[in-house]
Amino acid sequence: MLIVLASLLYGAGPVSAAQAFSALTGDGTSDATFVVTELRLPRTLIAMTTGLALGLAGALLQSMTRNPLAEPGLLGVSAGSGFAVALAILLGATTTTLTTLVAQAGALAGCALVIATTRVQGLGNDPVRLILAGATMTGLLLALTSMMMLMDQRAADEIRFWITGSVAGKPLAILKATLPSIVLALTLIVLVARPLAAMALGEKAALGLGHHPGRIRFLITITVALLVGSATALAGPLIFVGLVVPFIARAFSGPDIRKTLWLCVPVGPAVVLGADVISRLVAAPAEMPLGVVTALIGAPVLLTIVRSGRMPSL
Amino acid sequence: MPDSRNLLVNAILSVLALFLVVLSLSTGTVQVSLPDTLKALSGNADPMTLFVVNELRLSRVMAGLLSGAALAIAGCLMQTLARNRLATPGIIGIDNAATAFAVASVVGAGLSVAPSAMALAGAAAATAIAFGLAGANGTRGYRFIVAGVGIGAIAGAVTQVMLSRVAIDAANAAYPWTVGSLNARSEHSVTILGLGLAIGCLALIATSRALNTLQFSDAVAIALGTRLKATRILGLGLSVMLTGLAVSVCGPVGLIALLAPEFARMLCRPGKMPLMAAALTGAAFMVIADLIGRTLFAPLEIPVGIITAIVGSPYLLWILLRPSPRSLT
Amino acid sequence: MNYHSSLFVTALRSTLAALLFTTTTSALADTRKVESAYGPVDISGQPGRVVTLYEGALDATLAVQGNAVGAVITRGGSDVADYIQSRAGDIAIVGAPAETNIEAVIAAQPDVILAAPRINEQQYQLLSRIAPVVVSDVPLFEPDSWKRETRLFAKALGREAAAEQVIDDIEARISEVAALVEARIPKSQRDATLVRWMPQGPLVMAEGLFSASILQAVGFRVEDNDLVKAGRPHSEPLSLENLSSMNQNWVFLATLNEDGEKALQAARNSPAFARLEAVEKDQVIAVSGQLWTSASGPLAVLAILDDIESAVSATKP
Repeated sequence: MLIVLASLLYGAGPVSAAQAFSALTGDGTSDATFVVTELRLPRTLIAMTTGLALGLAGALLQSMTRNPLAEPGLLGVSAGSGFAVALAILLGATTTTLTTLVAQAGALAGCALVIATTRVQGLGNDPVRLILAGATMTGLLLALTSMMMLMDQRAADEIRFWITGSVAGKPLAILKATLPSIVLALTLIVLVARPLAAMALGEKAALGLGHHPGRIRFLITITVALLVGSATALAGPLIFVGLVVPFIARAFSGPDIRKTLWLCVPVGPAVVLGADVISRLVAAPAEMPLGVVTALIGAPVLLTIVRSGRMPSL
Repeated sequence: MPDSRNLLVNAILSVLALFLVVLSLSTGTVQVSLPDTLKALSGNADPMTLFVVNELRLSRVMAGLLSGAALAIAGCLMQTLARNRLATPGIIGIDNAATAFAVASVVGAGLSVAPSAMALAGAAAATAIAFGLAGANGTRGYRFIVAGVGIGAIAGAVTQVMLSRVAIDAANAAYPWTVGSLNARSEHSVTILGLGLAIGCLALIATSRALNTLQFSDAVAIALGTRLKATRILGLGLSVMLTGLAVSVCGPVGLIALLAPEFARMLCRPGKMPLMAAALTGAAFMVIADLIGRTLFAPLEIPVGIITAIVGSPYLLWILLRPSPRSLT
Repeated sequence: MNYHSSLFVTALRSTLAALLFTTTTSALADTRKVESAYGPVDISGQPGRVVTLYEGALDATLAVQGNAVGAVITRGGSDVADYIQSRAGDIAIVGAPAETNIEAVIAAQPDVILAAPRINEQQYQLLSRIAPVVVSDVPLFEPDSWKRETRLFAKALGREAAAEQVIDDIEARISEVAALVEARIPKSQRDATLVRWMPQGPLVMAEGLFSASILQAVGFRVEDNDLVKAGRPHSEPLSLENLSSMNQNWVFLATLNEDGEKALQAARNSPAFARLEAVEKDQVIAVSGQLWTSASGPLAVLAILDDIESAVSATKP
């Protein structure tokens, strides 16, 4: 709540916190009211949705792969989504005609890597290889994106914007377009939460309780693709959010995946909003790309997780 | 003990590298025939050919050879020290950190220190931090690598921040270099890299026996009379130095440090660190990748780092995802 | 230039001529010194083949009827800028603004190379081995920069008279458009901002920019509201929240990609933009970013004047 308020009150523009506050309570100047309701409010909502989607996606992936480092950004799911968007731009789609569908298809393709790794025997127990495979995938997709940018300089500006990640200036229409997928994903999460918790006890235990691990994995993969695709359509590929959010949530909830998922609901939006507020303030009157801020916040968390030595315990 | 297989491999690789050098010297927007290229190298050609071959292309190809060799040796050393063939400077974030520091000196955010020195400092800092975070395990184990991935991400973000704070033209000019390119190299950095490589090779030859024992278990290495700690520090130091110097020339060209030693190990007799073969392979990779980047969309260039990423990543993925991989160590 | 290298250049040029089976102009008699950023350069006659490494140099060369055979791509494009395309014809591309492909320059077989001040010493030395290189020493971002640059490049090409003619013609055209502005727009409403609309938002262009100086020459007051900091003479990205600070009567909106009208539509859809005074008055003029925020030179002046004229003509007197 506090961060939501901060997000509405602080920005790179000349509208001060006090002015913004009076705008919120209904008697601000027209400029302040405009900035707050038309610029900061949509941005705040978009950042919150992005955080929610990425946080949940991260928690699901980590639980499914039993790897606390599994994160849409690190595993290449976000990169797959970003690459698809870049390709669409190159093929002539302008950002306004761009639908979330492209991003979600890309995320699904990115999930292919995750599916492949969970299928490969023994790899689920080797977090490092999973992360490296994701990093390699991301590197490959970024290189291909760079190639496209070199081939078509006109598209380069737009693509460059997409691959750094930002929530500024996006119309609420994008949010509306992603809403159905997010609702669908949330429903799926409610359905798989219990079996997933059972799977945490081991596949045999899950089978014994009458669940089908294969089917659950399939559902989770779809859910993650929906969530990450929506998030990328909203804000571009943001790295580390899916790592940080479940990490914080788990600190409060303990190992139970159901509690963790619940806690991700407030924590995810808070983290991305916080990062967005920082991105507005540090470089005023311009803004720093949100993706850069999340990387700067997330990498130390990654290091902390590695340092804590609790890693293989999930 | 002379080893005929390794000698043969090195000889073939040398010939291959030489051939690629000549091919690279003759190919470009201005096409020079192979015989003319050789003549130009010996100083017998018309002034324009001399200019194109001996001045424009030779310095670029030399930069490619040296940086490719340096990256490959650095990768080979790091892999041996970590006993993990995925532990290469690029993956551990040393490349990114060196780039961040070098960009800082290019955009003038720091003191007026030369990019080479800054890249070295960045490489050393990243390694030190990764070490610190890895704790008691040192370079062994996954912590070192994951810590490196994190450091690399931070360094990458910092580079982006710096580039977003300078004027657009400067940022655009720095862009090819941040993905790895031989176009923007400074002759000064190439000279320093050459010196560093020469010193590194001498040190490697002098300590090759001790270094080779590192791939056995600690007990065996000690039994063979190796001073473990000193040797490790030397190997790591050389690896960091070569990476930093190479990055100051060509930027963070990914995956050569991983692929070249890998390739060399396949060719050479197992049991010894194939430093020589790795260096030759790395140099050849770099030269051919740059040649492709230079000619594919001529007159515009594709930075060499993009070529190595596109060619190398699928192979790395294959290593990582193989159902029953050979042991990673 | 010392004895040795001029010998070299002569040798090189004869080689090139032999390769081409064409005769280059050989008015060796009147060798003149052209002052440039890296010291004086000796040039004789009217050089035949001209390679330009800078958009302003291409523009100036074509304006004085020089024979441009090589050019760099415009920023954000894959060819020379649209406004100059028809005059440049099928010209060889020798690189991007920040990255010259020296081999492509050699392949274009130039008699003279014209470059921008941003070229560095090392590159200058290499290029000088191919042909005499004239690097502009005219400071950028001053109102008459384009005139001084045109005169410099024209001198290098031995076409000073043509340059004076072109400059006089443009002066006349400027007065013509200025008179139109005077007649149509009240003095108090002649304030304008120049903005480049990027996918991520607006980029305010500096007051001293080439196209801004032309707006000023015809009577507009161009303001960047001190948003563009000292030492960054080109442009400054702007948060959408700060858009209101550029609330001028006229907004010239430049885009590099898409066509202008579409970008204008996209901008109008942005709520922050729709609130601007200029939008309400329908005085937002979509212009080509290649021409308005990247180009310079006499032909660019004429093209920009055309844009201004048609925008002002549309208003009621």
